[in-house]
Amino acid sequence: MKKEIVAMILAGGRGTRLEALTAKVAKPAVYFGGRYRIIDFPLSNCSNSGIDIVGVLTQYESVLLGTYVGSGGKWGLDGVSSTAAILPARERGEVGATWYEGTADAIYQNISFLDSYSPEYVLILSGDHIYKMDYDNMLAAHKKRNADLTVAVLNVSLEEASRFGIMNTYEDGTIYEFEEKPAEPKSTLASMGVYIFSYQALRDHLIEDANDQTSKHDFGMNIIPSMLAAGKRLFAYEFSGYWKDVGTLESLWQANMDLLDDSNSLDLYNIKRDWKIYSADTLAHPQVIGNDAIIKNSLITQGCVINGEVTGSVIFSNVFVGKGAKVVDSVLMPGVLIEEGAEVYRAIVDEDCVVHSKEKINKGQKEVALVCDNDRG
Amino acid sequence: MAKTIGLINLHSNISFKALTERRPVASVSFLGRYGIIDFVLSNFSNSDIDSVGVLIQEKPRSLFRHLGFGNEWNFNRKSGGVTLMYNEKYANNVRYNHDINNMVENISFIKKSKADYVVIAPAHIITIMDFEDLVKAHQESGAEITMVYQHIDNADSSFIGSDYLKINNGKVEEIKINKGNKEERDISLETYVFNYDVLLDIINYATDLSSFYDLKDTLTYLIDERDIYTYQYQGYARCFNSVENYLKYSLELLDDHVYSQIFKSNWPIFTRTNDTPPTKYKEHAVVNQSFVANGAVIDGKVEHSIIGREVEIGEGATVINSIIFTGSKIANGAYLENVIVDKDAIIKNITNLIGTKSNPLYVREGDVV
Repeated sequence: MKKEIVAMILAGGRGTRLEALTAKVAKPAVYFGGRYRIIDFPLSNCSNSGIDIVGVLTQYESVLLGTYVGSGGKWGLDGVSSTAAILPARERGEVGATWYEGTADAIYQNISFLDSYSPEYVLILSGDHIYKMDYDNMLAAHKKRNADLTVAVLNVSLEEASRFGIMNTYEDGTIYEFEEKPAEPKSTLASMGVYIFSYQALRDHLIEDANDQTSKHDFGMNIIPSMLAAGKRLFAYEFSGYWKDVGTLESLWQANMDLLDDSNSLDLYNIKRDWKIYSADTLAHPQVIGNDAIIKNSLITQGCVINGEVTGSVIFSNVFVGKGAKVVDSVLMPGVLIEEGAEVYRAIVDEDCVVHSKEKINKGQKEVALVCDNDRG
Repeated sequence: MAKTIGLINLHSNISFKALTERRPVASVSFLGRYGIIDFVLSNFSNSDIDSVGVLIQEKPRSLFRHLGFGNEWNFNRKSGGVTLMYNEKYANNVRYNHDINNMVENISFIKKSKADYVVIAPAHIITIMDFEDLVKAHQESGAEITMVYQHIDNADSSFIGSDYLKINNGKVEEIKINKGNKEERDISLETYVFNYDVLLDIINYATDLSSFYDLKDTLTYLIDERDIYTYQYQGYARCFNSVENYLKYSLELLDDHVYSQIFKSNWPIFTRTNDTPPTKYKEHAVVNQSFVANGAVIDGKVEHSIIGREVEIGEGATVINSIIFTGSKIANGAYLENVIVDKDAIIKNITNLIGTKSNPLYVREGDVV
């Protein structure tokens, strides 16, 4: 089946700095924003951009992620000529069992999957970034410039620039150099890890890279430099809007808090209703707000029963907050039980955790606390 | 193993006035995120009855959209699913537009099912009923037809216009209309189990008897000729037969004791997903004793009310004892009490809307007030 463009979502990473939250699930499957998993964002972006073949490359703790993505029905990708395909690291006929050794290697190991759609273009995405983006506009720019590779970039501040992979460009957007986390950045155009390749160029460079024993098989470190060296046409495509790579507990917490800010451009409330983020539906009753509930500046999801006080917080489905309990500046994952009178401040409380009635978690602290059953016995 | 199929019978003369101008009672929004039909569909799904036909009386558009192939209700889409049975031929002919004629027109669904039993249930009488238990009781009793009833002690104020049964020795002796003149009644829940061949017999029989006879008429007529067994149901049952009762029974669920009768962990209520974000409670939100669906944005006061998906309640607005349907907007400072606001309406110019409990004020779909 011929397709103009196929998307490949890199979803194999662990996200070690998210600590216990990724002990059993890959980072793209981490919960975000009251009802989503992070991977809902790139998958919904694909669906909304009219891309209907999406490969999801998995490695670390892939079972839950694979089950969740399924054949893509939640994002409208399970039609007659559309699908989401889980592509785990696996045993393959010619080489036996292998892991994905890097981002480029992961795609290389799935060349036959890509070949089966004879695409003109391949969109490479990360499964763990939060943003709304129309890839179709980026594809149009890619075609217009007859590019071999277009890299989506975000204009960050100079201080932040040394945390990112930076694209150094000429005025017309041509990339002449890539620098990974430069100490003294020459540009502030940070790579978002969103690439559109012309497939032939990608295929050639992936094969060449696979044969290079010294390569780390990474897009940023190896493929981009080798394409630059070969004189290929590389362009930056500037994206403006909310984009977040939630690498740490603090940034995951902050990204959730960002949703409470009305001026946040991620705007899940879809004033124009043209870019919904799709997700699994939870089988749950409507939110039940009790007699003594106080709720301010918070997101609350179906299935919750709120009898206490919730301020500045993001509450996932099926959470119960008892009478007289206080939840302040916190993120409560699905199924959390806050017993009567318990208090939680500035915390991420993991799925199905119970906070007992006399507990006062993280009161008066500045750092974000993670509450999960593992370290509570 | 015996196979059972379900039929949801939407043929009735019940209307919610303006609320059902363009949709059947079955499609009316309920508790902010369901359609009334979701409850009977979920009963079938949770009872492992995989193949369900919907006998549609009229105004099918919203049902087609809501039900699709029935994937949301967890029916196996290969071996079962939801089949929409619409009787185009008689759609504009009131006397002919009844359940028996609908079944006659769509008899192939029933015949192809190769079922042993057929359970027929309405949408507007909401129950949490395990049809597996019902069919089991039907099998064990050796009945050909079983009618489900509930013994109630408030028949003077509920189920008015429904049938009540006189039962003798476990069998129906008489079927009569509840006129509300007595408190205690054995009320028919319009839910039946038929042996497959008996149902086909009855359909033929009814047609021979009178082209105007519906299922209720036929069963009433049949009592002397056939044994109709009874099955007593004891859980939640409410007859949503008027707009006043719709408001009353919706808000009544805000009471824990009623609520816990319909939301049980082993009995999920399925519905069509809408991918709406969580609800945002803003700085001035004061929300108490209410059901709130996802996707709403609330910056006002909400008390003893039901807020649907993607509803916006502006700063300083007050909503009391009211039901606001999907997508409606209540402007800053508005005051609503005992009001039903239908889908996508905007309350912005006349902002003081007050109805009564027995006669709620109604704002039509898409209207600007």
